[in-house]
Amino acid sequence: MNGALYIGQRLGKGVVVVLAIVIVNFLLIRMAPGDPAMVMAGESGAADEVYVAQLRKAFGLDRPIPEQLGIYVSNIARLDLGYSHRMQRPVLDMIVERLPATLLLTITAYLFSLVAGITLGAIAAARAGRLSDTLITVFSLIFYATPIFWVGLMGILLFTVTLGWLPAFGMASVTAGQGGLALGLDVARHLIMPALTLGLFHMAVYARLTRASMLEVFDLDYVRTAHAKGLPRGRVVRMHVLRNAVLPVLTFAGLQAGQLIGGAIVVETVFAWPGIGRLAFDALMQRDYATLLGAFVFTSAMGVVFNLLTDLAYLALNPQITLDR
Amino acid sequence: MMAIMHRLFRHKGAAFGVGVIALVVILAAIASILYPDGPWEMVGGIFEPPFQRAHPLGTDGLGRDVLTSIVYGTRVSLLVAFVSTVVAVTVGVLVGAVSGYFGGRLDDLVMRVTELFQTIPSFVFAVVLIAIFTPNIGSIVAAISVVSWPPVARLVRGEFLAIRHREYVEAAVVLGVSTLRIIFVEILPNVVSPVVVLASLMVANAILLEAGISFLGLGDQNLMSWGYMIGEGRSTIRDAWWLSFFPGVAVVATVLALNLVGDGLNDALNPRLARRGRA
Amino acid sequence: MVHNLFDRRDFISRAATAAASFASPGLIGSAATTLALAGTGARAQEPRRGGVMNIILQPEPATLVLALNITSQNQLVAPKMYSGLLTYGFDLKPLPNLATSWDISPDGLTYTFHLAKNAKWHDGEPFTADDVIFTTRDMLPEVHARARVNFSQVASVEAPDPHTVVFRLKTPYPGFIYAFETSSAPMMPKHIYAGSDYRNNPANARPIGTGPFRFKEWQRGSIIRMERNPDYFKPGLPYLDGVNFVVIPDGAQRLIALESGQVHLASSSDIEFNDVPRLRSLPQIQVETRGYEFLAPLTWLEMNNKRKPMDDKRFRQAVMYALDREFIRDKIFYGFARVPTGPINSVVTFYDGNVKRYALDRKKSEALLDEMGLKRGPDGIRVKLELNPVPISQTWMRLVQYVKQALRQVGIDVTIKNMDQASSVASMGNHDFDMCFVTNTAFGDPAVGVARSYITSNIRKGVPFTNTCQYSNPRVDELFDAAAKSNDRSERQRLYSEVQQILVEDVPVAWLLELEYAISINRQMHDVVTTGLGVNDSFDRVYMTA
Repeated sequence: MNGALYIGQRLGKGVVVVLAIVIVNFLLIRMAPGDPAMVMAGESGAADEVYVAQLRKAFGLDRPIPEQLGIYVSNIARLDLGYSHRMQRPVLDMIVERLPATLLLTITAYLFSLVAGITLGAIAAARAGRLSDTLITVFSLIFYATPIFWVGLMGILLFTVTLGWLPAFGMASVTAGQGGLALGLDVARHLIMPALTLGLFHMAVYARLTRASMLEVFDLDYVRTAHAKGLPRGRVVRMHVLRNAVLPVLTFAGLQAGQLIGGAIVVETVFAWPGIGRLAFDALMQRDYATLLGAFVFTSAMGVVFNLLTDLAYLALNPQITLDR
Repeated sequence: MMAIMHRLFRHKGAAFGVGVIALVVILAAIASILYPDGPWEMVGGIFEPPFQRAHPLGTDGLGRDVLTSIVYGTRVSLLVAFVSTVVAVTVGVLVGAVSGYFGGRLDDLVMRVTELFQTIPSFVFAVVLIAIFTPNIGSIVAAISVVSWPPVARLVRGEFLAIRHREYVEAAVVLGVSTLRIIFVEILPNVVSPVVVLASLMVANAILLEAGISFLGLGDQNLMSWGYMIGEGRSTIRDAWWLSFFPGVAVVATVLALNLVGDGLNDALNPRLARRGRA
Repeated sequence: MVHNLFDRRDFISRAATAAASFASPGLIGSAATTLALAGTGARAQEPRRGGVMNIILQPEPATLVLALNITSQNQLVAPKMYSGLLTYGFDLKPLPNLATSWDISPDGLTYTFHLAKNAKWHDGEPFTADDVIFTTRDMLPEVHARARVNFSQVASVEAPDPHTVVFRLKTPYPGFIYAFETSSAPMMPKHIYAGSDYRNNPANARPIGTGPFRFKEWQRGSIIRMERNPDYFKPGLPYLDGVNFVVIPDGAQRLIALESGQVHLASSSDIEFNDVPRLRSLPQIQVETRGYEFLAPLTWLEMNNKRKPMDDKRFRQAVMYALDREFIRDKIFYGFARVPTGPINSVVTFYDGNVKRYALDRKKSEALLDEMGLKRGPDGIRVKLELNPVPISQTWMRLVQYVKQALRQVGIDVTIKNMDQASSVASMGNHDFDMCFVTNTAFGDPAVGVARSYITSNIRKGVPFTNTCQYSNPRVDELFDAAAKSNDRSERQRLYSEVQQILVEDVPVAWLLELEYAISINRQMHDVVTTGLGVNDSFDRVYMTA
């Protein structure tokens, strides 16, 4: 019963957060400047007042604010994220098109950062004070300080331009109509660098966290007791320490999941990965505010969903956790 | 104070970090003396490779010297990072103090707002804000501040909640000491240490944010920044790798230094929390 | 005017092709053909049927219906599906398309076009003069800004028979013959669009034209496919089985696609200028710079003539003298441009290079500024101004930064405004700027594309790409007006020569570049660029070899 109540509470909270994000978004849209009508008129090679006015009417920007907010909120509820006059398409369509690519990238990066980070952190903790620990710590420190986009560029410089091992751009090679296993492998090859790049920063974070967390657990009494009882060290580490040390890291990772999406905008730009981040960047360059803010609302909502999922996963892993704050 | 400094410098990483930061600050201060003409002057041939006497780090597509640009870039990085951190810390401390001290419904509300800000992916939010308010140094600083204050608020709130009910604070309340005095004189000084540590990490994070923003082309067009240089070098990465490489090294070095200083400060100011092997 | 990327072998094969294509019947009234008829018959190889051409498209246009969307991207895509009445050679002489021949009355008021008798719309309906009347009188003036201006000169249009159209103009206007380029006046099917809401017509999803290729499918964000139109009105054409437009958002990926042969054509700004030299060195790639004669893009630094100190001619001249345009051409645009001498691009008719020259001369520049009373202050600065950026590519931003630096050297301190392209264009239209960059197109005749930037009647606040520098000179107005209406070529030349001399003396704007966008073509493709429309033409004669 408690579990269901907790879930209900969290869902309710999530909805409120999304609503708040929507209102923030609306305010941002209202403040957005620019006159796309002018640019499109200019691009057509000649412009006169009639044409510009036509375009502006098509944009429909002259209605009272409260009405606009009401319309906006109800639209969002119906999953209508607005219409991009620049691309002449509903924003949601474009986002849904790009969603699989972004999910593939972020989930791969997330899993990589968790697995690699926890592994490295565990190794560092297990060999605390020795060379491998120092190396891993230094490694983590450096990647924690490195901008994602720079890592990506240097990766391209090394693996594509210099060595020619990996493709640098896009999700698949530019050939019309590939399918099946060949396509899958092609995508996988293209996925390597972007996913690694996106995951490196968080991998460093998780490595440090895991190491610190594990060292704390090593010190705890019950571990010493188990040790004293004569359980083999390997088993001790695996069974007790890792499981308990990893929980705080997972909690933290769950909170960070939303931030990973933020990194995607830069990684997708550098690697021309056809995801939502790339869509947002293109919209940004063209000042297509409808699309930019649509992507913003969507990614924020995704962040809320990720947090919620993590909470639920945490609950599943560790049901004794108290259900009141 | 001396003890703290002593502990700080025993920490090798922190010592290195302080050294790098000092170098960056000095370069920022004397940039106009070293290179009076500024970073935008076309002083050499275009795309000159690095490691030669005239242009140690090479030149770019308009013949501008990369080293000069990196030196001037220290100014933008420091300015943006420092100012935005000061603003974010100020806001965060105020919010956290009020929320932690008064508790109850106010605390609930404030925490909801803080959570909201923390849920929204901060880089995307900053980018959206800057795009809407037109990119310039002011909007960049403001945007970074807006996305950076929540952790400070949380930290301060947590500390306030803990300290609020300590005996000496309760005593002060009973004695009729004004709320403001209690907050600023009794409680806040105890919060300084963790906030300082957090602030150093925030400065580092601000530098990364600013670099990303400039890289995407949202920086101030009249200021030479490291992120901007990396972004500029992107299209010619095949022929002129040095344009993106060296500014990136500058960012990594500076951010790493700040992180190390932050770690060192943490150990120095909170020795009771230091653990075996955490150096 | 020499296009120094000419390859002798190409020249001969192109001449031969051109000569052979104009041996077709029905050229009454049209001027003689383009290139010299050298090497007639000595064609490099015979055209072959078959093959599909992949063309880079970036960014994707919003809609492919040419009448509704004449952005530069759609000018590449849509003319494969739509046809205009005419096309134009490298020397801008009109050539037949849907109109097989035409007559212009001696007084220049009546234009009679004889239409192809066998042309059909992609849905099988016959193309007739009624379609021409509907297009030029009803549909285009409502949705197509340029056509509206062009066809406003028409007093009446009639169809004496289903394959003849007669336009009667209000006054003589020799520029009228240039109104019939495919993107300027695409023929639209009356039976589909008449009486409908043009922008929301359901047929817009599958464009219907008379062009050599038919719309097949459009995977948004990915690819547009077109297949051969078996009923195309030119027998035996097109040679290609189909044409695909591949959307590739990233610059480096476009380069890779071209180098690897996955795409056969990249044009305009698809490839950054600094990458073109590498492309050109590849054996399988040919770089072509012809094909922009109709558009004749001209880039200039616009100065707001109504603001101090730009209202003084000496300041504007000083700016011209301060800019090293050879440096811009060679180091920023990698040689893919020519230095203009004035307001008319050198490939446009009535160009006259006999004008005052402005070579880089900082001393002269400073002397003029001193003379004006703009002395250097203690910080070396005479005046502070703002410059709008061109944030569409790094090459253009380098140009902006170069101009800033160059002007600083003569004491003009310029701050680059932080704004996006849309805002920049808007501020230009609203006359709310100090300096900005404009790239304008000539469309074949100075009356059509050039005059609009300098005549007083086209100073229209709120509309970009008009006379936004707000230069006003009654003599210039007179000259442009007379030249537009004159039916006498030599008189027109005289008038345009005089106007060029005046404008070059007054320097309303600082002309920087005659752009030559590099077109990168895979050598498997032949006859891609054969007219002054270049890649914006129909590609009906393109053929592919292994």
